Amino acid sequence: MALQNSTSRPVKTVRFHQNWSAYAFLAPALVILFLSLLLPAVATLLMSFTDVSFLKPTSFIGFDNYIKLFNDTRFQQAVGNTIHYTIGVTFPTMLLGLLAAVALNQKVPGRMAFRTIFYLPVLTSLIAAAVVWAYVYEPYAGPLNGVLTRVGLPPQPWLQNPSLAMNALIIMAIWRDFGTAMIIYLAGLQDIPNDLYEAARLDGAKGKDIFLRITVPMLSSVTFYLLIILIVQTFQVFGAIYVMTQGGPLGSTETVVYQMYQTAFGYTEFGYGAAMSTILFLTILVFSIIGTRIMRRKDA
Amino acid sequence: MARLELSNVSKSYGAFDAITDVSLAIEDGEFAVFVGPSGCGKSTLLRLIAGLDPISDGAIRIGPDDVTRRPAGTRSVAMVFQSYALYPHMSVYDNIAFPLQMERRSKGDIRQQVEKAAGTVQLSTRLKDKPSKLSGGQRQRVAIARAIVRKPKIFLMDEPLSNLDAALRIEMRTELTQLHKELGATMVYVTHDQLEAMTMADRIVVLNGGRVEQVGRPMDLYHKPVNRFVAGFIGSPPMNMLRGKVKAIESEYYSFEAAGIGTIVIDGLAKRLKIGEEVVLGIRPEFLAPHPAGSEPLVKIGVVPRSVERLGAQTIVHSVIEGQNFTCVFAGDQVVEPGRALNVYCDAANIHVFDAAGITVSRN
Repeated sequence: MALQNSTSRPVKTVRFHQNWSAYAFLAPALVILFLSLLLPAVATLLMSFTDVSFLKPTSFIGFDNYIKLFNDTRFQQAVGNTIHYTIGVTFPTMLLGLLAAVALNQKVPGRMAFRTIFYLPVLTSLIAAAVVWAYVYEPYAGPLNGVLTRVGLPPQPWLQNPSLAMNALIIMAIWRDFGTAMIIYLAGLQDIPNDLYEAARLDGAKGKDIFLRITVPMLSSVTFYLLIILIVQTFQVFGAIYVMTQGGPLGSTETVVYQMYQTAFGYTEFGYGAAMSTILFLTILVFSIIGTRIMRRKDA
Repeated sequence: MARLELSNVSKSYGAFDAITDVSLAIEDGEFAVFVGPSGCGKSTLLRLIAGLDPISDGAIRIGPDDVTRRPAGTRSVAMVFQSYALYPHMSVYDNIAFPLQMERRSKGDIRQQVEKAAGTVQLSTRLKDKPSKLSGGQRQRVAIARAIVRKPKIFLMDEPLSNLDAALRIEMRTELTQLHKELGATMVYVTHDQLEAMTMADRIVVLNGGRVEQVGRPMDLYHKPVNRFVAGFIGSPPMNMLRGKVKAIESEYYSFEAAGIGTIVIDGLAKRLKIGEEVVLGIRPEFLAPHPAGSEPLVKIGVVPRSVERLGAQTIVHSVIEGQNFTCVFAGDQVVEPGRALNVYCDAANIHVFDAAGITVSRN
């Protein structure tokens, strides 16, 4: 009888009854995710179709914010700055991370100490690091200009010159992020079977060939993963700019997220800021989907 | 192809001696098999020949060249690894072509050589595939093709069949032997499987504890092992070992008192044993018969079978004599029942005698 009862139930109901405890454990996390991520995301999307502001009553304006955005030269400059920052940080960070990982994957004396030292910036507070770097870049008393002066070079207004400021921020970001790239590459390197290197040595390959023909291709999954997370991370840069340049000088370090913050909370144009946020969200989503697809194809 | 010569080769890792004073020569075109139990140093010795690890002492010569201090890629040796060590991101073609690309050969030459090597191992239709699309046997063939494409002086193979299933292993064993004949190459093959060693080798090098125990042709090792270790390692099932003592010596006849058996008389032994000296008597399971047959003098041994394994062509009977396993191999249709005692017979000429140190007492 019991068997008859259980088989007569719809399959989906049976599955739910079997898995209810799993749903119960997932529920708190799902509620938090819904309240903190999904709800604000939907609210932002809806807000982007309005002119919500503290200064006037809210009304639905359709795609006006988006049309305005695509004609906004300041936004275009912010997009350009963001791409400059993303490219400037992502590729050198990956390259330095890879070189450091390859070097510290060898049995060199003090390699654990070097690994720790290179990873330490990742662990520091971003705000604290930004304050320290602002001091390093300080035009009169900063140690960087001190060094330049000592070797006979002219001091530079690192954060005050529009053509230098973004690169100064990029250098700081590379310093802070390459430890992450190094650790991820180290994990990838340790996954490469030693047999492959021995086979390559016997096949007559030397250092450069082994690196380019074995190590780099064997790290391609790790490289794609790093590329995606660094692009997504650098696209959202805000903290360092807020502390060190406030988007200046002359908007040369104003990125999309910083401009979004300024628009929404500085000028109280929440609808317009929401449209910027939606565009940024979609851009990041596209990169994430491309990254996930590539990873899946590589794993298959 | 070339002769390989090892002179007093030693390898230590700190205080641990992995290889101790190994000297041997493998002739041009010879198929030599290094065999021994796990940890005996056979793979280490192969890696020393390949140049993957530096030797601590001694010298290695390939042909006329002293290659002791030369890096791996310049010794003109190719190696097939136990794990195949194929480059997973490269196609079969690129895997085979890799050593030639490292020699900066022309593309046309590389294509010609790769196609020839792939044809030799019957992989011509899989050149575009990645190794992950191939079966274990096909991967092994790619590894072999990658080795032969370079036309090395010496082929080194480190347990290349151990990852294959039993049927494929037998097939590949035959193919490797055939390949050796076709290429006329000098091959050094490492295995822990004495059956592989016996079936494939021109000469076997038995290693134990980093030392060479014996070098010889398969049947020489089988019939004339120099010590108890080789006698026990070569042959399957392994040789039965029975403890005994020299009871009497009369002219050229030695009389032994064997535990659990009684008196055994053997003649023709070298005169170096003394009365009362402890010995071990070795009898191969396949030289035991359930009926008295053949030439005299025969040794009769009473056994009580504990278990019987029927393999079809053979029946293997396991029993215990004085705490020692005692195995007999009979014809497949021999009637034997566990628990029912029977006598087995052996020609005394087929009994090996080892002294207290485990060294074979030779026959005149």
